[in-house]
Amino acid sequence: MNAVRLQRGFASALVWIDRIEKWLLTILVLILVLLAGGQILLRNLFGGGISWADPFLRTLVVWTAMLGALAAVRDDKHIAVDVLQRFLPAGAQRIARIVTLLFAAVVCAAMAWYSIAFVGIDFATPANAVSDGVPGIAPWVLESILPVGFGLMALRFLLRAFSPPAHAAALLHDPADIPAVNAP
Amino acid sequence: MTLLIAGALLLLAALGAPLFALIAAIALLGFGASGQPGTAVAIEFYRLADMPALIAIPLFTLAGYLLAESQAPRRLVRLTNALFGWLPGGLAIVSICACAFFTAFTGATGVTLVALGAVLYPAMRQARYEERFSLGLLTSAGSLGLLLAPSMPLILYGVVAQQFHTTPPVAIDALFKAGLLPSLLMIVLLSAYSAWHSRGLPRPERAARGELWAAIKDAAWELPLPFVILIGIYAHFLAPSEAAAATTLYVLIVTVLIRREIGFAELPRVIREAMLLVGAILIVLGFSLALTNWLIDADVPESLFGWLQASISSKLGFLLVLNAFLLVFGMLLEGFPAIIILVPLVLPIALHYGVDPVHLGIIFLANLQIGIFLPPAGMNLFIASARFHRPATTIIRACLPFYAILLLCVLIITYWPWLSLVLVR
Repeated sequence: MNAVRLQRGFASALVWIDRIEKWLLTILVLILVLLAGGQILLRNLFGGGISWADPFLRTLVVWTAMLGALAAVRDDKHIAVDVLQRFLPAGAQRIARIVTLLFAAVVCAAMAWYSIAFVGIDFATPANAVSDGVPGIAPWVLESILPVGFGLMALRFLLRAFSPPAHAAALLHDPADIPAVNAP
Repeated sequence: MTLLIAGALLLLAALGAPLFALIAAIALLGFGASGQPGTAVAIEFYRLADMPALIAIPLFTLAGYLLAESQAPRRLVRLTNALFGWLPGGLAIVSICACAFFTAFTGATGVTLVALGAVLYPAMRQARYEERFSLGLLTSAGSLGLLLAPSMPLILYGVVAQQFHTTPPVAIDALFKAGLLPSLLMIVLLSAYSAWHSRGLPRPERAARGELWAAIKDAAWELPLPFVILIGIYAHFLAPSEAAAATTLYVLIVTVLIRREIGFAELPRVIREAMLLVGAILIVLGFSLALTNWLIDADVPESLFGWLQASISSKLGFLLVLNAFLLVFGMLLEGFPAIIILVPLVLPIALHYGVDPVHLGIIFLANLQIGIFLPPAGMNLFIASARFHRPATTIIRACLPFYAILLLCVLIITYWPWLSLVLVR
């Protein structure tokens, strides 16, 4: 009984993470566009922009990239060389999927671990921070997307390894098996 | 031990492991072997936040995806049709121009193929173009705009190449200028072939003046875009990242607030699609920043050069080998990751052989552009196969004359640097 409840709780937590991720991504990208566009107007019309805008925008690029990479795990859209995969039988494809995605999960977990150390360095001595920050926000806060992003990616790769692929690998000779491409 | 690890990684790569994870693993192992902690890889990765040019990539990509989701492709086709539709092979030329324009914006050739293929393929078939010709033309035109500003691969090449502080430096606006004539060469040669091929087809009437005017009015909101970018960048009013910001803000306002072709409810989905591509590319870039540093510390490009020089002494010989190498890797890796991974290895070697780094960028992209739809593994073959519901083998056969034309273009671009450099230097 408890196991079922735990499983349900886990599933709803995942749904919430997806939802938060999607909205966070939307909001951050809209800020990116508005701030970057506004900065040009300010600079060209009034001769001066917001001084903290540039480092803030550069940080936003990393945040949106990490969230985008996290979303790419869910849709199986990470760039990979899938030449061989096309020629494997279905069973072998499943095994290949589990092996490669578990490998990615381990790498992401390792990166999450090392990123915690990286963020920890700037947390302990903010004065010698590796990155230049934005006034009012400590560098370690800006950098925290690395451990969070890689940690969630590790978790999601682990789950994806045992889920069916989001889109079947296209085969050379049998177009009937290819699902219509969803226009992105 | 090293061989064992290399073998394991190669196997994982062949089985389809995410590229970024492979690069990250190599970087972690490499740093570890030279006594540096893994934290250094995280620090190198975070250098993504120190690259001001990078901001153009999410911005232009979003602008491209917004345009692709809106009715802009349809309006673009209508306008180019009113302009060029009456020429022999008019609709084919329309397809070539529209695809080039669109890929220049999105940098994502597959998106162009899907978005414009849906409009253009039925139109070409209706105008009685052969099926085979139409398939080949659209599949090859999908990647045509890669060399045109503001394409994302050009920006990416600039960002990666700037790591090397070459003389002369690789400014992104220099790349934008360098890509102009080579793009025109490809567009003109493909158009000429199309006109010749479809000389037997009945030519549609020249569009009435009313239709041209209506098409212009229809596309009135999109028309300023090329001018903002071209004039802004080519005349040095705007840095590439500023042009990206202006373009994206404008496109966002037009598609969502003025034309309302993308609703607020749909916006998160479109943004997610665009950022998914950006994230997948930038995460590879982040780890390759770490790897590049390690490669340079370990003198890998230098030893590669020494090894190459033993068998290839001339610049021309080097370029020939480079062409073959890039075609194969462009096919296996697609455009973006190929740039990120190969530029750090190839650029230092090419400099030794006296190749201009800006010219090298154009050579790179011209080759990758073909590699993207080259058999047996070029991604666009499979996208075209799915889009047009034809077997990939049919698409490959349909593309044969287009491979020939574009290969000719690549050879001209490679061995005639003037074409790329006259507007730059």
